[in-house]
Amino acid sequence: MIQQTNPIFGRLDWSVTPYTDLLNKVTSSTIVGAGAATVLVVGAIGAVALLTWMRWWKPLFRDWLTSADAKKIGIMYIVLALVMMARGIIEGFVMRAHQATALGTLAAPESGLVAPDHFAQLFSTHGTIMIFFVAMPLLIGLINFVLPQQLGARDMAFPVLNQVSLGMTAAGAGLIMISLLVGQFGTGGWTMYPPYTGIEYSPGEGVDYWLWAIMISGIGSTLTGMNFAVTIFKKRAPGMHFMRMPLFCWTSLCVAIMLIYAMPALTVSSTMLLLDRYAGFHFFTNAAGGNMMNYANIFWMFGHPEVYILVLPAFGVFSEISSTFSGKKLYGYTSLVIASMSISVISFTVWLHHFFTMGSSVPVNIAFGIATMVIGIPTGVKIYDWMATMWRGRIRVTTPIVYLVGFFMLFVIGGLSGIILANPSIDYQVHNSTFLVAHFHNVIIPGVLFGMLAGIHYWFPKAFGFRLSETWGRLTAYLFIGGFLCTFMPLYVLGLMGMPRRSPTFQNPDFMPWMYIAAFGGVLMLAALTSLTWTFWTSWRNRERLAVPGGDPWNGATLEWSSPAPVPEWNFPHIPVVTARDDWGATKRGGDPWRGPDEYVDIEMPANTYFGVTLAGAAFLLGFAMTWHIWWLSIVSLFTIVAALFWRGLQVVEPVIVPAEEVERADKQYRDRIASLTPVRRVEEETEHNRGVPDITEFAG
Amino acid sequence: MTKPNTGEVNPKDTAAHEIRSYATGFVISLILTIAAFAAVLSDLSPTLKILIICIAALLQVTTHLRNFLHLSFSGNQSREDLLLVLFSASLLSIMAGGTIWILSDLHGRMHGDQAAHAEPAEHSHNRAPED
Ligand code: HEM
Repeated sequence: MIQQTNPIFGRLDWSVTPYTDLLNKVTSSTIVGAGAATVLVVGAIGAVALLTWMRWWKPLFRDWLTSADAKKIGIMYIVLALVMMARGIIEGFVMRAHQATALGTLAAPESGLVAPDHFAQLFSTHGTIMIFFVAMPLLIGLINFVLPQQLGARDMAFPVLNQVSLGMTAAGAGLIMISLLVGQFGTGGWTMYPPYTGIEYSPGEGVDYWLWAIMISGIGSTLTGMNFAVTIFKKRAPGMHFMRMPLFCWTSLCVAIMLIYAMPALTVSSTMLLLDRYAGFHFFTNAAGGNMMNYANIFWMFGHPEVYILVLPAFGVFSEISSTFSGKKLYGYTSLVIASMSISVISFTVWLHHFFTMGSSVPVNIAFGIATMVIGIPTGVKIYDWMATMWRGRIRVTTPIVYLVGFFMLFVIGGLSGIILANPSIDYQVHNSTFLVAHFHNVIIPGVLFGMLAGIHYWFPKAFGFRLSETWGRLTAYLFIGGFLCTFMPLYVLGLMGMPRRSPTFQNPDFMPWMYIAAFGGVLMLAALTSLTWTFWTSWRNRERLAVPGGDPWNGATLEWSSPAPVPEWNFPHIPVVTARDDWGATKRGGDPWRGPDEYVDIEMPANTYFGVTLAGAAFLLGFAMTWHIWWLSIVSLFTIVAALFWRGLQVVEPVIVPAEEVERADKQYRDRIASLTPVRRVEEETEHNRGVPDITEFAG
Repeated sequence: MTKPNTGEVNPKDTAAHEIRSYATGFVISLILTIAAFAAVLSDLSPTLKILIICIAALLQVTTHLRNFLHLSFSGNQSREDLLLVLFSASLLSIMAGGTIWILSDLHGRMHGDQAAHAEPAEHSHNRAPED
């Protein structure tokens, strides 16, 4: 098929929107497609209208988009992730609804809510979004927000680079979003294996959308990894030795290392596929000696470390909350550090288990199978450490603890099914079935999603100055746990009954009961999403009553709880001198933790800049133009990127100075405020009395 | 390993030094790149070509690390740098070694002891695939 390429519009024309499809043929599938596009358009128009109506454009740019403050960048990452998560969960629901109606017959094999091709786009976008634009931004956002504060630093090592990373991620997410409205997304799943995704079998724009989104956001993630690593190595407060760092910092360090070494593999595999598609190369075609399995090989060299990139920050969060909410010191700190580090190295040695069925010879499969089982050991160690931390503690069943307990029970099941799959001969039976789908959701949802939501709940007061509603928070957690059980446990059964993953249809009526349970699970997941949204809304409305100006609502032990909530831009009026692990806890035990510093000094903060926004916009246009073969626009946007880099490089960038008087005023005000608030005991933690000043006599951690 | 890296340096001194270091690195990289391309375009034997490219690539990596990324084994952060190099080397050898192992194994399993576009007639000499 030779497509005409218009010099101005590339391959764009009026036939690419889902509305044209709807006009051509009205089916449930085209209605769903057009409906999704409409939600996007209405959402975008609504957002623009709201910003204009509330006159928020200027604050948006001044306070947020041009800010180089790691905390704000972190929050923006998380907002992006939550928006994308809404789309991902809704897509998950649509897929479940589809499969619940997809029982075909031999006479009419196809049936269900959406057309097969549409279903393929759904699982491809869902997978891509959930991994790259939900899980990744959630964890990167959380680390950005928490890491400098826990290390006793004011910001990341490279604040502006951080802004660029966010911009790249947002540009990639934008490409995925626009594919709802303009053209189609790829149908090759989140892994986009060739040869199916080669130019011969997927000539359209879909795979290119994926490639550009992944390449652009991948650059962002690589840069983030470097930023985190340098921050941890260079910006620790004086006295903060490695073995005094909170565990979340340790897992951040692991994540940073893994990002640095794993992301390039993804960039390489995507670039090779890109060259195959755009420039007639033969890396992954049989013609001219290419080898398509090398794509799987390189992709999973990234892909497996990636899943540990996703889960390690959650492990960090669980380490923090298990200790804080049981009022005990973290059990087995050193073993947790060693376990995290081992995981991050071993995770580079297991990638072949994702394609056991490629047909390697026995020694290869065995070696990777054993490596896979070995990685279960450090993970198991961690679970025991957290349980030991909680053992005999005075546990408060707050939202994070609900997530943590849900994680304990569900993640272990998911881990066990992983160990089962690590056996090549078993994997041969169930690979590519919904058993696998159940397995990875079983580790990703309780691991990553629960961990990140728990983390958001835990640190939210630090960011915005008020707590989230515990009642709604817990309800959300229960709904996610129940929704998970109903959606994915049936998939284990279906997989063992022989149902392949990614099936748009099936002809076995025995599947149906399980399908209905799973669809009901999808409804629960939607309810959880709604409840999550409501948690934010209702907490915002009650922000006066939930306010915790004292800044330490949970009687925490790490440095970030020593500052007011919301935390000022400079984090600490005076960089703390760390004398112990869990330094804030040690200060509390020493009595009078809220004593102000003796002197105040001017503070240098990075100045706002439009650099990140410019690069993001140009990168988005570059991706879009390349996808649609609009060459002139590609050249213009590429040129813009290069020019912006030069421009920035040639400038002398002055930091903003916050004068000592201003710091002193704000800090004195905070200290006075603390003195006027009544300390709250833990039993009253969830009540209005919690103003963020805990009763330090109760501190035992 | 945990000492802060706040060594006072004279900015003028370092600037001149840095520019010299970057310029040297740039020239060396350029030469190595040209060498690799020249090797491909020449009519040396394929093995020799591959060898030249590999060596040029390794030297290129070293140059970048030394001249652009200021890696050194004698400065005040030599220990961190050494750790970094060793760690990178081990991870990269896992990746490269693993790939070679996996793909050559696959190659063998796919009757790869024979060139991919060999004449069909040669099939009769094909060695039996391993188990
Ligand atoms: C919250 C509710 C969720 C629901 C209802 C859901 C549902 C689904 C369904 C129905 C599929 C297709 C299964 C098949 O191929 O037969 C799928 C695939 C997938 N999901 Fe989810 N999911 C959810 C959450 C998540 C999360 C949180 C993540 C990751 C962070 C995730 C990652 C994936 C991935 C990577 C795939 C594979 C896509 C592919 O086949 O290429 N999902 N999900």
